[in-house]
Amino acid sequence: MTREAHRTSAREYPSVSIDTWAVILAFALALAVKFDVFKNVPW
Amino acid sequence: MASSISLPRVESGKPLLNAIRIVPGILLLAGIGYAAKILEHSVNAYAKARHWTFPNIEYVLWAILIGLVISNTLSIPRIFQSGIATYEFWLKLGIVLLGARFVLRDVMKLGGISLGLVVIEITLSLALMTFLGRLFKLKPKLTSLLAIGSSVCGVSAIIAAKGAIDADDEDASFAMAAILALGALALFTFPVIAHGLHMNDVSYGLWAGLGVDNTAEATAAGALYSEAAGKVAVLAKTARNAMIGFVVLAYAIYWANQGKAEKVTNKAAFLWKKFPKFVLGFLLMSLLVGFHAFNKGQVASLGNLSKWAFLLTFAGVGLRTNFREMSKQGLRPFIVGAVGEVLIACLTLGLVLAANRIGGL
Repeated sequence: MTREAHRTSAREYPSVSIDTWAVILAFALALAVKFDVFKNVPW
Repeated sequence: MASSISLPRVESGKPLLNAIRIVPGILLLAGIGYAAKILEHSVNAYAKARHWTFPNIEYVLWAILIGLVISNTLSIPRIFQSGIATYEFWLKLGIVLLGARFVLRDVMKLGGISLGLVVIEITLSLALMTFLGRLFKLKPKLTSLLAIGSSVCGVSAIIAAKGAIDADDEDASFAMAAILALGALALFTFPVIAHGLHMNDVSYGLWAGLGVDNTAEATAAGALYSEAAGKVAVLAKTARNAMIGFVVLAYAIYWANQGKAEKVTNKAAFLWKKFPKFVLGFLLMSLLVGFHAFNKGQVASLGNLSKWAFLLTFAGVGLRTNFREMSKQGLRPFIVGAVGEVLIACLTLGLVLAANRIGGL
């Protein structure tokens, strides 16, 4: 892929920051805990 | 540029390859973290069985120490580097999940106190670092980066500001090296000073959150004192992180007016782009728990998931601290950072002790 094509694809599909990914994963885990997919997570 | 403090790079277009590339490093973080947990348990049990008087060394310190020893004695193969860099991700995941352990009332109370102290701390830190940068004749943009890094939130703030004020990679690298080296020192000095002063968990947590610049180090410095102090440190640091957009925006406007950075056309969009989204996640999680979306057992599970995420973070803090690489970055920025950080640490300690005396933390 050329540099220009890279830039174009980056414009079409804006990248998601690690902050946002962390929030998404945190709430996915919270949902899993809520619906007992993960029960009594040990420490 | 030193590998331990290089700016993160993401290769687009190969998501599957990128995902596979981070696996070895994540496994290394998990391995070190788990070894730290085992060491905490076994060393304490061994000392107890022999009736030795031995300080309780927690997993936090073990994880950092193992990481430090590996990064400063061995050459970490490239295959692990991408995965080690994910420690920031685990940190933010841990902070959002930790929101579950905060009652909203505490967030409002402590967050309010923290925000008040944060505004004072940021104002004084910016003024102090700018003065020191001029005194030591550092490059103006390097001074700006050091001021932003030491007043708001370390490496993330420097990365956010670098693009906004159009600073050099080299300047960003210097500023990050100074902030990281001093953060590593704070990890070991803050708890010792606090024990000497007999600080309570809330006071110490606030001090760690206000006085230690990088979020990972602030979290670790808090957790090294006690679990409760660790929670407060995260809250105070989160309040500080929330200010990142405003400080970076102010600097971006200043440098644009000097004709040395691009003009900010849409300030609201700029603020949203720079705002750390995990702060919103933390508040939302706390809000959900406040509205009883989770039962007691589920809240405990979320708290434990947060601890696992932090475990990987602490291993990463040790692994990416390479003193040899940092020493190559030059002495002057380090001296400015060191003088500034010591003064900021004293200042924030004074603020917290005053708040404790006035409001009773």
